[in-house]
Amino acid sequence: MTAQAGMGGLLEGRAAMVTGAGQGVGEGIAAALAAAGAGVVVAARRPDNGEPAAQAIRDQGGRALFCRCDATRRADVDAAVSAALEQWGRLDLVVHNAVSPPGPPRPIQQIDDETIAMQIATSTTAVFHCAQAAFGELRANGGSLILLTSPSGIEGSGHLPLYGAVKGAQRGLLKSLAREWGPHGVRVNAIAPVAWTPAMDAATAANPTLEARLLGRTPLGRIGDPATDVGPVAVFLASEMSRHMTGQTLAVDGGRYLGL
Amino acid sequence: MTPQTTRTALVVGSGDPADSIGVGLVAAGWSLLRLGDDPINDDTVAAAFPTLEQLDLVVHARYPPLCRRRLALTDLTARQWHAACDEPLEAGIRLARAAYEPLRAAGGTFVYLVPLMASAGGDGFAPFAGAAEGLRVLAKSLARTWGADGIRVHAVTLDPGAFLAPADAAGIAEANSLHDPPLGRVPDLSGEVSPVVDALTSDAFAALTGASLVVDGGLWMPG
Repeated sequence: MTAQAGMGGLLEGRAAMVTGAGQGVGEGIAAALAAAGAGVVVAARRPDNGEPAAQAIRDQGGRALFCRCDATRRADVDAAVSAALEQWGRLDLVVHNAVSPPGPPRPIQQIDDETIAMQIATSTTAVFHCAQAAFGELRANGGSLILLTSPSGIEGSGHLPLYGAVKGAQRGLLKSLAREWGPHGVRVNAIAPVAWTPAMDAATAANPTLEARLLGRTPLGRIGDPATDVGPVAVFLASEMSRHMTGQTLAVDGGRYLGL
Repeated sequence: MTPQTTRTALVVGSGDPADSIGVGLVAAGWSLLRLGDDPINDDTVAAAFPTLEQLDLVVHARYPPLCRRRLALTDLTARQWHAACDEPLEAGIRLARAAYEPLRAAGGTFVYLVPLMASAGGDGFAPFAGAAEGLRVLAKSLARTWGADGIRVHAVTLDPGAFLAPADAAGIAEANSLHDPPLGRVPDLSGEVSPVVDALTSDAFAALTGASLVVDGGLWMPG
């Protein structure tokens, strides 16, 4: 039995919104939340992967709908929240996973203004949009917000310094929001995964030694699966099982990062 | 710690802690260049100091007034969010980009000053904490990439009072149980924090880069 299968029913009757859910970690988390009983708004920029992701959940007997959403646009986020309310009458969980592709490794002095602005927009502005748009519902339902950060946001990254900065910024945000929203009964936590995603596929394809190097530094000896390794941790953070946890970052990376 | 020859420091940010750090560096013999909270773009440093070729030290403490104002996230407008989080983060990144060449020419040191809320969080200061934590982590990334160029990069965490109004700083102190400084006082910025920044540039610390120091008299001791 997979961890995902063992969580069936934990989120029965709940509703969630997952940004960037058309592929990779977001898609895996959306599938795991749905397998645990939640209705899931698959919020994604592209219908060509968002709709199939939602359909795949429905094909497994889960509840999901696709909503086109660019999380850097407040109106799109509002629409995704409204979609959950219209479909299920509530919203208990927001997972902000969407991210701009970090692109090839580059030192900071070679990164242009447009790239800096885009990374900030998807990693911090989008948190603002998600948090503000969903707060009323999360407060009403004792819900939670989960941010997808990265080990790079803790230890920095020589290859992707901009990515590390914006992921670090998310940790400052989550701890502050945990303090701010705790009295309202809303929890805020983060997951820092290392998992197979389209970005990881591209990185390993571009750098043939990357996978072996990464595995050599990972005690569990494999790169995570979005649905069966990362997804169950999101279910845990969304469920009553973690009701006394807030402001925390869980590294879901096979033990690669042990600095917390 | 008095340098053997006059060295040049650029301190960025309006008010404290930037002002007091600058005072301390001048007292230690540094030649001081100052930028305030004005926008940082590709040409800011070059335009402000057209003859500048080398920088021995850059100290970033640029957090505009809206960062330092206590506001619930749900009460922020989009414009306020941008001014308090996205813009300061972007400016801190751009400053690193602009400072790279003059720092490389001198084998210099870059120091980001950040408030405790960056790594501990702060009720009502989410945008400030986000921007500052992004820059604290950026220091580690820059240290990794710039080490081969002879540039060292650090972050120094200061107590909330270095950035906030007393009442707001007291609230953060209360939330983090920062009541009894083990050394009996919160460090004076010009007299006690500035020398730490100065020391980070010295040969005695030549093996140190990517450090994240907490210089607050022992108030906060993270794991």
